[in-house]
Order: sequence, then C-alpha cells, then structure tokens
Amino acid sequence: MKSFFNAIANLFKKPVTTQYPFQPTYKPDDYRGLIGFNEDLCIWCRRCEAVCPPGAIVFSQDMEGKQTYHYNRAVCIYCGECVRSCPKEGAIFQTAEPAPCALKAENINNGWNKLFPEAIQSREAFAAEKKRKAAEAAKAKAETETKQQ
Amino acid sequence: MGKTYEIPVGAQHISLLEPLHFKFTTENERIIKADANVYYVHRGIEQACCSKFKFRQVSFVVGRVCGLCSISHTTAYSQVAEKLLKIEIPKRAKYLRMLVIELDRIHSHLLCLSHVAENSGFEALFMKTMQYREFSMELLEGICGNRIQYDYSIVGGVSRDLKPEVADWTLKRLKEFMPQLDELLDIYQNNWTLSLKNKGAGAIDKETALRLNVVGPFARAAGLAVDVRNETEDLLPWKEAGFEMVLEKTGDVYARNLVRLRELYVSIKIIQNVINGLPEGALVTETKAFPDGEAVVRLEAPRGELFYYAKGNKTQVLERLKIKAPTFSNVAGMVEAFNNNEYGSAPAIIASYDPCLSCTAR
Repeated sequence: MKSFFNAIANLFKKPVTTQYPFQPTYKPDDYRGLIGFNEDLCIWCRRCEAVCPPGAIVFSQDMEGKQTYHYNRAVCIYCGECVRSCPKEGAIFQTAEPAPCALKAENINNGWNKLFPEAIQSREAFAAEKKRKAAEAAKAKAETETKQQ
Repeated sequence: MGKTYEIPVGAQHISLLEPLHFKFTTENERIIKADANVYYVHRGIEQACCSKFKFRQVSFVVGRVCGLCSISHTTAYSQVAEKLLKIEIPKRAKYLRMLVIELDRIHSHLLCLSHVAENSGFEALFMKTMQYREFSMELLEGICGNRIQYDYSIVGGVSRDLKPEVADWTLKRLKEFMPQLDELLDIYQNNWTLSLKNKGAGAIDKETALRLNVVGPFARAAGLAVDVRNETEDLLPWKEAGFEMVLEKTGDVYARNLVRLRELYVSIKIIQNVINGLPEGALVTETKAFPDGEAVVRLEAPRGELFYYAKGNKTQVLERLKIKAPTFSNVAGMVEAFNNNEYGSAPAIIASYDPCLSCTAR
C-alpha cells in the first residue's frame, strides 16, 4: 500500500535526469580538459613529449632548427602528466574545456599517424644535418690549423 | 532422474554486463553443473606495460584495465612501483588515495546492487539505486577532474590536491546520502518481491568459500573474514581511518546485497574521517631512481583482493608486471555456487557476483 502511494506521489515529482543537450550537466571548475600551449614561454626541452603516456604530443623541427608543437586531442587522455613535468610554469597548461568532437575534415586519426613519424624523422634529419655541419666545421678547422703549421 | 539440458548463457546475453560465457547443465530447470569461460576480452595489457610504456606511464595504462575499479589498479601499481623504487610517500597522499578508493567503492557497490535488482526483475529499484549513485560520480569528478578515469595515483604520490571547498561539499553530499542509503537498506532487506528471488539463491558455505579461495564481498557474505584492509597496515592506514569488517552468514544473494550496503556505511565513515583528519604535507615524493628488484602488493578493490607483482631491472621499462584481479580468484566459487539453484534465478546470481571480466582477462 505504501509503494502504491509512493508511485502516485512520484507522478508529481520533477525528473531526476538532466535534459543534457539543452541543459548543462555538472562540471567542476578544475575539470581535466584540453591541454593548452604557450609558445612564447616554452624552452623546447621536449619533456612533455617524453612523459606523455599515449603519445599525444610531438615536436617537429625544420632545417633551421625551429621546433613546432603538435597536439592531438583524440589521443590525449587528459592525465596532466605533461603539465606536471614541465620545468617552465605556464608553457603547457590544462584548461577546463572539454574536447570537442573531431570532424571528418580534420582527419584526426590517419593524419596523426602520418604526422607522428614525420615529426620524429624531421628531428632526426635536423640532428644529422647538425652533425654533418659540425663535422665539416671541425674538418675545415683542422685543415686551417695544418696549413698554419 | 529427468532429462538433462545444456543451456548456454553468453558471451552476449541480455542479463550480462560483461562478455562471460556460462554453460549450465539443467535437470527440471535446476542447475546441476555449470561451466564458465571468462577469457573473451584479452587485450595484452601486461605485455604492453613491459614493452611499450615507461614505468611512470604504466600507472595510467593499468587504470584502463577496468573502468569501475580504475583507482584500485592505479594505486596498486603505484604502490608496487614505490616498493621497487624504495621510496616512502607522504602521509597526505596516502589519505587522499584512501579517500578516492572508498568513493570508488561506493559507486561500484551501488552499481552492482542496482544490477542485482534489475536482474531479479525489480526495474524500479534499479533506477532508484542508479539515481542515488549519481552523487558519488559527481564527487569523484569534483575531486579527480573526471568521472571514470581518475588518474589520481601516480608513482610517488597523488596527482592533485583536495581543495577545502570540495572537501566541505563532499561531507555535505555524504550527509545527504545517508537517509537515501537507509532507505535502500530497508528496501533490499525487507522487500518481499526481492527476497523471493534473492534469499537462498546462489548460496555458498564458509568451508567451500575457503576451499575455493573466494575473495571480496562474495566471501564476506559467506562469513569468511577476508579483507586486505584488515590485514595490511604498511601501505595505507586503513584501521587508523576507521575500517571495520562487515560479515554475513548465509552466503546467498541477499547476504551479498547486505554486505555491500553495510560496507557503504564503513566507506562513508572512512571518507569522513579522512577529510576531517587530513594531514598537511607534500603530495608527491620526487625521485630519480629506476625500479629494481621484485615486489608484491595487495589492495582491497571493490570486488576483493587485487594482486600486483612487478620486477624491475634498473631501466625505464619494467621486466614483468603481473595483475591478478579479484574476479579471477572468484571464478571457481562462482561456478560452484550455481549448483542446485533454479535456472530462473541465474541472472540475479551472476549479477550478485559482480563479475569484472575486463579485469580478469586484462
């Protein structure tokens, strides 16, 4: 009998669920959201790339030695390990903004799978070039020294 | 002796949450024998942890072993890694780990209870339990920043601090939850419809439970006092935080429900004690050492004893990581407890085991 009256009373109660797309759901102020990057503060130590568990951060490098930061929000697990490892405060930070859905035009999976090895290769190419230049300079220096003698 | 029939349940079945296969041999609708196959979701996580990921990254990988007891896996791995690194973590980090583990236990137990109600044919109670469970998810989101994957324990401590306003809010929400929990206990204990399906179903006695090495609420419902929180004090100070053993005698689905509900009171007490007596201090112990040697850690996950073994060789990558999840220990008991039960009560019995197959198969 009690449950019968409960059932009647429940008809007049407000629903417990939230009408999600029309009403916002609960979100804390320090929600673990998208990772932000400040290029001006970065010291390019690449520590965030080394600690990232899923490999969502990668730095590419052109032949002049300038590094570019790449980040994939679909690979990121939002653990904040990059922020904790960063030696320069504010260079990489976590926002409270949830990640938006990826669009087909972004090509977020295949594009990233292509970009990641290319970025690593570009760094290796720069390192090889640097090594070659250093070797050339050393050779030239040695030649000049022998000529002087 | 009637004719026997074999009835397969799973790996995809409407009453199963997980890919689990049971083969019941029934005689006049009575189960006389059950077989289980649990390895449907093997993902090779142990191998990945020992080859692809560095030891500090592994704590985020093992968090993905299970969605419900994510924090238990992360904490157990962090503890085993700390043993290998031979470091002691700050006391504040220990208390914060206990806080999140107990909140996780609340939401995991309520989920299990709701599914027992649903599989017993009491859909309204399922919805009510899920409604009351929502507060624990919001608390976890407020404390850890995410609803499911907390990533709270890291090697050496915890990843974020508990803010004072979040602590006050947690205590307030727990206070609001207490009358709701009393209401749930009343329904699960005294509801006549539910007791028809749950009392006497899936019973296992204490001797059988001990012989088959059953762990967690499944064992405690049979009167077997196994709880890692009662046994170890060196890693997390459970007794200091107010842990009490919860035991029932009958070992059936009804007893398991009551063990889970009464454990929630203990969890709430631990959370209140932790927040009220939270020690000051650092969150993380920094170290530059590499894991070396062998270590073993046991931790009480919501489903029972979680076991971690790790071996390091002074490099960034571990040599071996072994995970034994509570459901793996329970499989033998699960198969045994079906015997001499009606086939109709099998869904409720399966739900009352609270099986977690992605933990078991890893």
